[in-house]
Amino acid sequence: MRFLSKALVITWKDALSEMRTKEVLSSVVVFALLVIVIFNFAFGASQEKMLLVAPGILWVTFTFAGMLSINRAFIPEKEQGCLEGLMVCPISREAIYIGKMLGSLLFMLIVEAIALPIFTFLFNLPVLSLQLVVVTVLATLGFVAVGTLFSALAVNTKAREMVLPILFLPIVVPLIISAVKASELALSRESWATLASWLGIMGAFDVIFLVVSFLVFAFVIEE
Amino acid sequence: MENAGYLLAAFTLVWALVFGYVIVLFARERGLRKEIESLKETLKERQG
Amino acid sequence: MGKSYLRNILSAVSFLLMAASLYMVFVYVPTEATMGIVQRIFYLMVPVAWLSLLSFLIVFIGSILYLRKKQSRWDVLARSSAEIGIIFTTLTLITGSLWARPVWGVWWTWEPRLTATLVLWFIYLAYFLARSLAAEEHRGATFAAVVGILGFVDVPIIGLATTLWRGIHPGALIFQGGLAPSMLLTLMVSLAAFTALYSLLLLQRISMKNDEIEIKRLLGLTAERHNTGDR
Repeated sequence: MRFLSKALVITWKDALSEMRTKEVLSSVVVFALLVIVIFNFAFGASQEKMLLVAPGILWVTFTFAGMLSINRAFIPEKEQGCLEGLMVCPISREAIYIGKMLGSLLFMLIVEAIALPIFTFLFNLPVLSLQLVVVTVLATLGFVAVGTLFSALAVNTKAREMVLPILFLPIVVPLIISAVKASELALSRESWATLASWLGIMGAFDVIFLVVSFLVFAFVIEE
Repeated sequence: MENAGYLLAAFTLVWALVFGYVIVLFARERGLRKEIESLKETLKERQG
Repeated sequence: MGKSYLRNILSAVSFLLMAASLYMVFVYVPTEATMGIVQRIFYLMVPVAWLSLLSFLIVFIGSILYLRKKQSRWDVLARSSAEIGIIFTTLTLITGSLWARPVWGVWWTWEPRLTATLVLWFIYLAYFLARSLAAEEHRGATFAAVVGILGFVDVPIIGLATTLWRGIHPGALIFQGGLAPSMLLTLMVSLAAFTALYSLLLLQRISMKNDEIEIKRLLGLTAERHNTGDR
C-alpha cells in the first residue's frame, strides 16, 4: 500500500492548500451556479421545457466547472515552479497521477454536491436520487481520469489553459452523451434497467481511460 | 436523373481534393530532393 | 532505390483499381431502387470513411511504438498517417453531407456515423494542436502520440455512444440491409482502390518527412563546416 499512501500524500497536500484559502472552490461553485442561472434565462420558464433541457444544462455546467477544476491540477504548480520539486521527490510518476486525479475528483465531487441540491431548488426537479448520484460519480471519475492527464500535457504547452478544452473535450464526448442521457432517465424516475446501458458505457470508459492514462502519464510529465 | 448534381459534386470534390493533394505531395518532394542535392554539393565543396 | 520502385508499383496499382472502380460505379453497378442515382455516393463514402479510420489505426500504432522505442521513424509514420487521415475525415464529412442533402433534405444530421466522424475530426485536430503547441519538437511528438493513443481507444466508445444516443441498435452500424452481389463487388473494388491510394500517399508523405529531416541535418552540418573555418 506504499504506492497508494504516496499518492494520497499528494492529494492531501492539494486538499490542504485548497482548504486554507477556499478560493478556487468558492469561485467554481459560484461559477457553476451562475451558469445554471444564465441557462435558465436562455431556455425559458415553462416546467415541461425545464424537464427537457435540465440534463443538458446540468452537464454543460459540470463540464465547464470541471474544466476549471482540472486546470488547477498542474497549472499553479508549474507557475510557481513547484512542478520540478514534485518530480524530484522519491515518488513514482504514476503515484503523482493518482494523487492529482484523486484531488481533482474530490474537488469536483464537492462542487457537484453543492450544486446539485441548488439545482433541485431552482428547477423543481427530483435531482437528489441515488440514480443521479451514481451517474454523476461515474461521469466525474472518467472526466477527471482523462482531464488530469491532459492537464499535465497542457501545462507544458505554449497556450496552457486555453488548449485544454480543445484537446480533451472530444475524447470525453461519449461520457457527456451518456451522462446527459442517463440524467434524463434518472430525472424521469425511470428504472435502473433503462439506465443500464449508459452506466455501462460510462463504467467502461472510466476503467479503460484510467488504465490508459495511468500508463501514459509518465511520458507526458518527464522533461 | 434528379440529384445527379450531388453525385457529380461529391465525386468531383473528392477527386479534386485527392488529386490536388497527390500533386502537391509529388511537387514538394521534387523541391525537397533538389534542396538535398544542392546541400550535398555545398558540403562537398566545403570539404574539398 | 527500392522505395521508389515500390511507390511506382503502388501508383500503377492505385490507378488501375481506381479506373476499375470508377467504371464499376458509373457503368457496371445497377441503380438502386429507392434512392436513385445518388446512392452511388455510397461507393465513395464508405471507402473514404474507412480510410479515416485506417489512418487513425496507423496513427495509434505509430504512437505506441514511438512512446515505447523513442525512434523518430515511428513518429514520422504517425504524423504522416494523421495528415492523410484528417483529409479523409474531412472528405467523409463532405460526402456525408452531400448524401444527406438529397436523401434526407438537410445538409447535416446528427445521425450516429456523421456525429462520430465529426468527433473524430476534432480528435485529429487535437493531435496536430498538441504537437504544434508544445515547447520543443520532441515533446510535441510525445504529446501527439498521447492524443493518438487515447483518441483511438476512444473511437469504438464514441461509435457506441452515438449509436445508442440515436436509439439505433449497435448491430446495424455497418450495413443496413443486404447488398446485391454486384454492389458488394463494386464496394470491394472501391475499398481496395482507396486503400492502395492510402498506402501510396502514406509512403510518399513519409519519404517527404524523411527528406525534411535530412535537410535539417544537412543544414546543421553546413553551418558547422562553415563555422570551423573553411572558406
